[in-house]
Amino acid sequence: MEKLFPEYPFPIQNIESGLWLIIALPLLGAFINGVFGKALGRKNVHWVACASVGGSFLLSLLVMWALGKAQPEIPGPLAYALSADYGTWFAVGDFKVNFGLFADRLSATMLLVITGVGFLIHLYSTSYMEHDKGYAKYFSFLNLFVAMMLTLVLADSLVLLFVGWEGVGLCSYLLIGFWYDDEAKAWAGRKAFITNRIGDFGFLVASFLLVLLMAASVKEAPRGTPVSNPRFSASLAEKGPLAFQSLSTLASTLATPDISAAKLKAAKPDHKPALLMERDIQTGPLKGFSYSGVLTVVLLFFLLGAAGKSAQLPLYVWLPDAMAGPTPVSALIHAATMVTAGVYLFCRISYLVVLSPFAMATIAVVGCLTALIAALIAFAQDDIKKILAYSTVSQLGFMFMGIGCGLFWAAFLHVVTHAFFKACMFLGAGSVMHGNGDETDIKRLGGLRKEMPWTSWTFLIGTLAITGIVPLSGFFSKDAILFGLETQQLAGYTPVLHTLYILGLIAAACTAFYMVRLYVLTFEGKRSPLAKLPHAHESAWPMTLPLVILATLSIAAIVYGVPFLSVPNAPNQTLIEFYLAPVFNASNQANQLGMKAHMLLPGEFGGETPWNLLWTGWIKAWLIAVVCGGISCFLYLKVWRGGRKFPAILEPLRRFAHNKFFVDELYELLLINRTKGLAKGLYRYVDAFFVDRVAVHGTAQTVGFFGRVLRWFQNGNVQAYASAIALALAVGLTYALLQVLS
Amino acid sequence: MIPTTACLFLSAMLFFLGMLGFLLRKNALVVFMSVELMLNAANLAFIAFARMHGGVIGTTGHVSAFFVIAVAAAEAGVGLAIIIALFRTRRTLDVDEVRALKH
Repeated sequence: MEKLFPEYPFPIQNIESGLWLIIALPLLGAFINGVFGKALGRKNVHWVACASVGGSFLLSLLVMWALGKAQPEIPGPLAYALSADYGTWFAVGDFKVNFGLFADRLSATMLLVITGVGFLIHLYSTSYMEHDKGYAKYFSFLNLFVAMMLTLVLADSLVLLFVGWEGVGLCSYLLIGFWYDDEAKAWAGRKAFITNRIGDFGFLVASFLLVLLMAASVKEAPRGTPVSNPRFSASLAEKGPLAFQSLSTLASTLATPDISAAKLKAAKPDHKPALLMERDIQTGPLKGFSYSGVLTVVLLFFLLGAAGKSAQLPLYVWLPDAMAGPTPVSALIHAATMVTAGVYLFCRISYLVVLSPFAMATIAVVGCLTALIAALIAFAQDDIKKILAYSTVSQLGFMFMGIGCGLFWAAFLHVVTHAFFKACMFLGAGSVMHGNGDETDIKRLGGLRKEMPWTSWTFLIGTLAITGIVPLSGFFSKDAILFGLETQQLAGYTPVLHTLYILGLIAAACTAFYMVRLYVLTFEGKRSPLAKLPHAHESAWPMTLPLVILATLSIAAIVYGVPFLSVPNAPNQTLIEFYLAPVFNASNQANQLGMKAHMLLPGEFGGETPWNLLWTGWIKAWLIAVVCGGISCFLYLKVWRGGRKFPAILEPLRRFAHNKFFVDELYELLLINRTKGLAKGLYRYVDAFFVDRVAVHGTAQTVGFFGRVLRWFQNGNVQAYASAIALALAVGLTYALLQVLS
Repeated sequence: MIPTTACLFLSAMLFFLGMLGFLLRKNALVVFMSVELMLNAANLAFIAFARMHGGVIGTTGHVSAFFVIAVAAAEAGVGLAIIIALFRTRRTLDVDEVRALKH
């Protein structure tokens, strides 16, 4: 590439100031299709939709390429990044938000995934949604989704990120309930929206707390810290407290050693060196709490937000129901992009995350429990899309574990590889449904390998990737996380990580089992007698081509995850770790400083890759995948295929898992019914009684009453009116006379 | 010279008579005449005060009386027209029969 284009076609500033185009293109596409879609006709609709996303993809490539060339001028998080600031968005008192876009290597990678996978899914949809009457509407929503996701990724402040965050939630709602005349599907959309709103509440509270934290630290930080630097004050005044630039400075300030505490240490040698963040806040509404305590609360609220968007415990329930939407939507939104927003958020604010070991441990535990529970539920599901949905939840749990143990690059690598293979499998599932009369029950499929060769081969690759078989990308990304759990140290919580490692292995084993079950029941063996159509048909090229590309990518992504292929000057790093190093630079610095105070420690081996441990880890993971996959393959191909019954002892267990551990029912009982009761009470007493009856009708009735009374004085007799005047005159005269005489 | 008080007394009497007529009589024509009577009572008061004050203020009083006469003339034109129209449509001038301005 560099040999072909050694020079830029145009100056890098042009790419920087044109970042908005990446968002604007799909937005324009959404507008055109949304407003003029009917007039354009089907042919033109998908041209507009695909071209806008394709154009964004090309622009993202350009950004990626420019980033490769960008030389760091100032060391820190802003190096290796393109940014464009389009001025003040809004300002309220001291609080100010700029409309700024920002692309570093993390967001550029996300850009490529979103627009690349997005483009493939648009292409796929042209065939999949061919006969749908809401064709233009569908593509309009899909484009809007891409635009919102790009906003989320390109935002340079938490506020703009939140716009994208809400926007993808909205699009998800619109697309899940796309076939809204089916009531169950409409309810699924509502469920997703409301569950996401609970998470958004956490996000908002966390942002507010961060503003307060920033204000307190600017006021109280001693001289010499990054926050009290005049250059930072200028940038804070310009960009506002919630810009990522400001937040990273906040993080490095909080991780600064506390000098007054160091003096204390000189007096008492056994006192461990303290950081600024262990001080108590002296001013403002957070007075009396310590910085680190508030920061932990902030991160836990962010975890709530991320749990909503990324379908983690306890808010994962919406994702399996989201399968009500069209299958390409499930592939794009509920597998490849939107659900990774939580992981992206934590990678983006990694410098804050590393400052709180407790929050990290919580993230890891939540991730692990989610991974395990979702995997167990997936065992007993029969719906092809439901199984994939639960496996998505489970894999997202793995990503959260990666964040929890501090290996942000591994979590992010898993985001990317997962986007490839999960999109591939979802699209494969769509292809299966398309070829079999919309049949989703895997027990009524089977034997599709010969009838749908492209679909089945690409699905097999996806299955092997998620299972973790060696030459596929999923193995390395998942194993990097598991390896991290085994070797990373987290101040005070290292045993937790080690426990999670075991649980993670169990989750990986479950994954292997149920994914192979899914593959075998769908594609191998004989065609089920219950099948809807006697023969399946392979899908058209717009559907199979994305499958092949995604399958190829899920093999090719291996390059980023293998430690042997590392770059010359960083021998122990994987390619992705090296590539993303500038992004996580700030968090590493914070970590280095924090290390002195035992916040987070590097691996036990001082940064050297422990090859022997790595090898045993790999062999262990590989063996688990192969053995569990093999067992599943054997059981479902030989034992339970020939009409033999599932063992009766396990039946209640199976039913328990099939009903998703009754979590939905539990929520219904504990929360939803209460909320509904409250809503009903509010409706009945506040809305129906107070507002409607008392306020609205009451006013009208009072006025009406006086009107009815006064009407009797309006009798139409002029002489009666005149006598009223005369009477008044008489009274007035009498009064005047009395006044004069007395 | 007739004292002003006497003139005012006469004016008040006339006004009172007019008012009683307006309130009590049922024939629309008579009611109308009562209104005229009240207007003329007011005129009498104007003139009496004008004579009492004299000078510029007196002139003002005279002018006011002329205005009232002009208004009364116009009113007589409109009012009599209404009464004629009323009689033509209803064949009666009893005000108790004409109570269209009702709720």
